[in-house]
Amino acid sequence: MKTKLTAVLFMTVVFGYAQNNVDISGFARNYTSILYDNGDFNMLQNTLNLNFDKMGDKVAFKANPMLYLYGIDSLDFRMREIYLDLYFKSVDIRIGKQQIVWGKADGVFITDIVSPLNLTEFLLPDFDEIRVGVYAVKLDYYVGNSTFEAIWKPVYAGNEFPPPGSIWYKPPEFPAPPTFDNSKENIKPSFDNSEVYLKYSLTSSAVDFDLMGAYTWDQTPSMYVEKVFGFDTVTNQPGLTGLNITPEHHRLYVGGGSFSSTIKSFVLRGEAAYYNGKYFQTTDPLAEGALVEKDYMHYVVGLDYGVGHLRLSAQFIQKAIFDYDEMMNDDEFSNTMTFLAHYDAMRETLHLELFSYIGLNYGDALIRPKITYDFSDSFNILLGSNIFVGDKQGMFGRYGDNSMIYTKIKYNF
Amino acid sequence: MKTLKKITTIAIAVLITNGFATQLFAREMSARDIIEKVYNRPTGDDMTSTLTMTLINKSGSERVRKIKQFTKDFGDVEKSIMFFQSPADVKNTSFMNWTYDDPSKSDDQWIYLPALKKVKRISSDSKSDYFMGSDFTYDDLGDRKVDDDTHTLLREETIDGVDYWVIQSIPKDEDYMYSKTITWVRKDNYIGLKREFYDEDGELLKILKVKKFENINGFDIITSSEMENVQKNHKTTMILDNVQINTGIPASKFTERMMMRGI
Repeated sequence: MKTKLTAVLFMTVVFGYAQNNVDISGFARNYTSILYDNGDFNMLQNTLNLNFDKMGDKVAFKANPMLYLYGIDSLDFRMREIYLDLYFKSVDIRIGKQQIVWGKADGVFITDIVSPLNLTEFLLPDFDEIRVGVYAVKLDYYVGNSTFEAIWKPVYAGNEFPPPGSIWYKPPEFPAPPTFDNSKENIKPSFDNSEVYLKYSLTSSAVDFDLMGAYTWDQTPSMYVEKVFGFDTVTNQPGLTGLNITPEHHRLYVGGGSFSSTIKSFVLRGEAAYYNGKYFQTTDPLAEGALVEKDYMHYVVGLDYGVGHLRLSAQFIQKAIFDYDEMMNDDEFSNTMTFLAHYDAMRETLHLELFSYIGLNYGDALIRPKITYDFSDSFNILLGSNIFVGDKQGMFGRYGDNSMIYTKIKYNF
Repeated sequence: MKTLKKITTIAIAVLITNGFATQLFAREMSARDIIEKVYNRPTGDDMTSTLTMTLINKSGSERVRKIKQFTKDFGDVEKSIMFFQSPADVKNTSFMNWTYDDPSKSDDQWIYLPALKKVKRISSDSKSDYFMGSDFTYDDLGDRKVDDDTHTLLREETIDGVDYWVIQSIPKDEDYMYSKTITWVRKDNYIGLKREFYDEDGELLKILKVKKFENINGFDIITSSEMENVQKNHKTTMILDNVQINTGIPASKFTERMMMRGI
């Protein structure tokens, strides 16, 4: 940690000294959150985000170190991005650690699968902070308003999940004591293990659309479960005495696309992807490792409406598993909706927002009201709440004890 | 005979181009024609500039927005792209607009938010929206079409030796945010030097004043203007710097690629 801090300080001093050439910007932020349930502070975080940018005609670079201080002295350093850009007449190449965002959906990740997610605080971080930077080479070839994009990701990066002890860690209930074998969780960086993503996109007057394909890894590992049978010392009967669980990743083939188009005051958006090679958990006793391979489709249809300073948006999201069998743990169809209402007042210094995820299968929801006031162009304060309601089986309702109120005080520079 | 006809033609041409003849000529121009000339005043095929917009509230405190902008006329479509340079929280945000000559076709607009790393298509139907918290609506900034209003020549005035047409424009849409506007149009260059905006109750709402215009590359360019909301005692100044005209901005400037790359 000391070395990382020294590196950041070194960068700040060097780039600061050369600030006529390097653009330095960023923010400092305090984030404090209290749980409604017990009054505990579940978040006491101070953040320093630094952006070092140098823009040239032929080459550019960016470095984006972030420092998160939790509580008094628990420091987390992340180099969110650091890359070089090379500009040619019709081609741009970006090399290094970078965040890549695809698709037209808001708050859901369908074709947006290049950068994995940091889910250690569920879906609560801002969307620019929830994505994890990936080591990649990205090439964009431009012809008129069309873009051909190719990404080669030689180093695997997966979704990050909350660790045991976190309020967001909700392990499944096991019928017997589990033993985890994490030897297969990491994927060795090699040419064979690299990932490839391709996209064609078009910007036009009538419609914007893109088509994508990927040969990738499932960023969430499947749990290979081996049952251990023995003599139960409690019941004095032979039976299930343990579970050997091995998290392992599988290759996925993904194809999809997205579009957006304007109709009067509305913007209609859609995005869909077909996933081939996904392993799902099953209770089928004949299934090897309690896993079954199935394809699935994930799609979203959304409508945005803007009038004056009011923006409204609604999305319907469905995940449908093909060739479904009743012993699978997942539902055949998982339906979710999102709603957004955003209003700017007082000459865009006061911002009111309500964003909600609603799980239709279990009738649960995450409701996120917030109000932000800009004291000046560089300084604002946010007061918000994250409210989890509904059935405990739902992906939102299970965090019913984690409803919270929070503030974020932010200084941009 | 031929010589006499030629001389007559030249004489008419000279009269038309002289200020004396302008008034005679104007009588034949309708108020709509004059406003059309105001809206379509030549400003070159392309323009690069830096816009500094200062919002001043009634207590005198200021908020400053700085934007680098590029505009190019492609014939049937005018494309513009803006890169926000300050304040810090909107830095590197970009906005692209395609406006079509076909009045039945709405503008296409996209916004790039650097935090989201995504270009989003946005709806462009709300021309009455205020631009970045300023006193200018998108319509005020030039998005309004000539035939959205019915124009009437109220009178002609001479102020400080400069001749003006005073034209009243009443929106055809009764629900529009203004009940009418009155524009003082300079006869010599078709610049609307002053414009009054009246609210739905017919009360004076805002006054636009052109503070400065400069001749750049043979085109009269408004480089300083001020919009004052007299009801809220709030005003916005706009200063245009580093103006370059007809530099041959490539079409590739007005693309998603450039929105994301920035300047």
